[in-house]
Formats: sequence, C-alpha cells, structure tokens
Amino acid sequence: MMLLQMFFWLFITLLLYVVFRRLYQLLPYPFMIPVLTCTVVLVVVLTSFDVSYDTYFSGGQWIDALLGPAIVALAFPLYKQRKLLNKFKVEIFATVVTASLLGILSGYWLAVVSGYNEMIVSTIISKNVTTPVAMEVASMTGGQPAFAVIFVMIAGIGGAVTGPWLFQLLGISNFLGIGMAFGGASHAIGTAKALEYGEREAAISSIGLSLCALCVSLLGPLLLKWIS
Amino acid sequence: MKPQGIKVLQLMSSRINKYLIISLQIGFLFGFYLVGGYLQKTLALPVPGSVVGMLILLIGLYLKWIPIQWISQGASALLNHLPLLFVPVTVGIMQHLDFFSGKSLWLVPIVLVSTWIVMGATGLLGQFLANRKEWDR
Repeated sequence: MMLLQMFFWLFITLLLYVVFRRLYQLLPYPFMIPVLTCTVVLVVVLTSFDVSYDTYFSGGQWIDALLGPAIVALAFPLYKQRKLLNKFKVEIFATVVTASLLGILSGYWLAVVSGYNEMIVSTIISKNVTTPVAMEVASMTGGQPAFAVIFVMIAGIGGAVTGPWLFQLLGISNFLGIGMAFGGASHAIGTAKALEYGEREAAISSIGLSLCALCVSLLGPLLLKWIS
Repeated sequence: MKPQGIKVLQLMSSRINKYLIISLQIGFLFGFYLVGGYLQKTLALPVPGSVVGMLILLIGLYLKWIPIQWISQGASALLNHLPLLFVPVTVGIMQHLDFFSGKSLWLVPIVLVSTWIVMGATGLLGQFLANRKEWDR
C-alpha cells in the first residue's frame, strides 16, 4: 500500500509536469510556469482529498533527490560561459553585492515599517537566497526556518512570474541585467526561468545565485546586528 | 525486412545507450553533491552542500581534471527539467496554508515588493555596467 502510494504520487507529479510543460509551450504566459501550475494543482488535490504532505513526499522525494545534483550541474553552463564570466567579473561582483544588500535592507525596512516582530524581520532578510541558506541564516539570527521556506518560495515564484513584466517596464533587455536580477532576487527558481532566455543569462543567474547565497549568509547576520 | 529490423535494433540500442549515459552522468553529479554536503558539514561552510559541489565540479572542469563529456549530457538533462525538481518542495507550502490568513498575509506583498526592488535595481545596474563596458571597447 505504502509502495503503491509512493509510485502513485511520483507518477502524478511527473504526469502533471509533462502536461503543464506542454501547456506552457502553448500558452507561454509568465504565470503559466510549470513550478507554479503543478504546485497549485497538487496542493488543491492533496488538501481536498485529505492527503498529508508526508504521504505525498514519499513519492516526491525521488524527484527532490535530483535537486542537489541539478544545482551541481549548473557548473556546466558556468564552465561553457567562462570567458563571459571572466570578462564581466567586476560587473558581476558589483551587482551581487547590490542584490544582497538591497534584499536584506529592503526586507528589513519593509517588515519593520509594517510593525512585524523581530522573528519575522530576522527571517525575511534572507528570502532572496536559496532555501538551505535562508533557513540557516534564519536560525542563526533568531528567525523561523519554516517561515524562511515560505518567503523563499514567494520570492522565487513571484520573481520568476513577474520578472518578464518588470523587465519590460524598466526596459531591461541585457543578459547581465536579466541574469543577475533572476539569480539575485529569485535564486534557483529564477535561474530555471533564466534558462528560458538563453545560456548567457543562465550562467550569470547561476553565478548570481551562488555568490548571493555566500554574500547574504555572511552579510545578513552582520547587518542585522548593526542596524537593530 | 532484415536490414530494417537491424536498423530498429540499432536505433533502440542507441536510445538505451543515451539514457544509460545520462543516468551514469547524473550519478556522477550526485557524487559531487555528496562530497559538497560532507565538506559543508565538516568545515561548517556558510553555503549549501550543493553549491559547494558545484564549485568543486567547476574547478575540476577548469583544471581539465574532468572532461566536459563526462557530465554534459546528464547536466543538460537535469537543467532542462529544473522546474520539475522544485515541485515536491514547493508543494510543502500546503503545511503552512494557515500562514496565508490573518496578519501574516501582509508579508506576501512585502516579500514581493522587496523582490521587485532587488530585481529592478540589480537588472538596471547590470544592464548599465554591461553596456558601459561594451561602449568602452
């Protein structure tokens, strides 16, 4: 029974992905990205049939296990675009620091102004980086790792969905701008979106996501101590 | 009749070969992930194990210790389907649906606005700096 459930949810996830990926190709609106559509459908199905997340994850974990190697695989576009990265190393450094600082400070400021407590403030500053780092920063600074996961998801999916509109609005069409905006603001989910734009955007986005993770994990706790 | 049968067999075996290569290469990438995780834990590094693994692989590729052919097909397969790999984690949001009611709900626009600030400013700065470099040449 357990085994059957496992295979069932694994199969359903794969099936939904295949269907929604095809649908996204037919209707390429930003809000149709498969991460969002698949997640929404699965959450609705699971909650309406009263299936627990643990039951779902017994099947989902087989897909989740590939996420780590996939992040490792980002070395591939990075290596292929090494000349580009080398050429723009100063620009990359400047934008990484900007993205990390703005992510921390704007999150901090908006949460403080809205009257949220210290726990929320400490958690929100790391929302622009990849989940394990955000959770780590949250627990280091007295935040709540479970909330960190939610913030990271909103920043990731929200950024991947609204990014294309924002770029149009601000007239951003350059690969360095687009790549770093996705990697710096929406981490790995943004990088998955940047892959749609091209290999140069993806390479910049991957380097952005890794360097911002490093930068925020070092700067986040420090800045929080200074400004509060 | 016979040549056609052989052709189909050849096609099938090349297909199977391709999937075998992809699986082996993903296994190889998984090794880097494990090593990265181990290093992250033992050295208490501030970045996740997967990013450590990525950096090790990148160094290996740079120094030509690892030929690009050892990972190219597996890496492309994983990156082509990167959105799928996030789904099991993001579905975890169902455990926190009560978060989206009451006062916490306001945190959603806050996170979005902060994300737009980062995206907009970083995008504009990146574009400006890249263009300036192109003009200088």
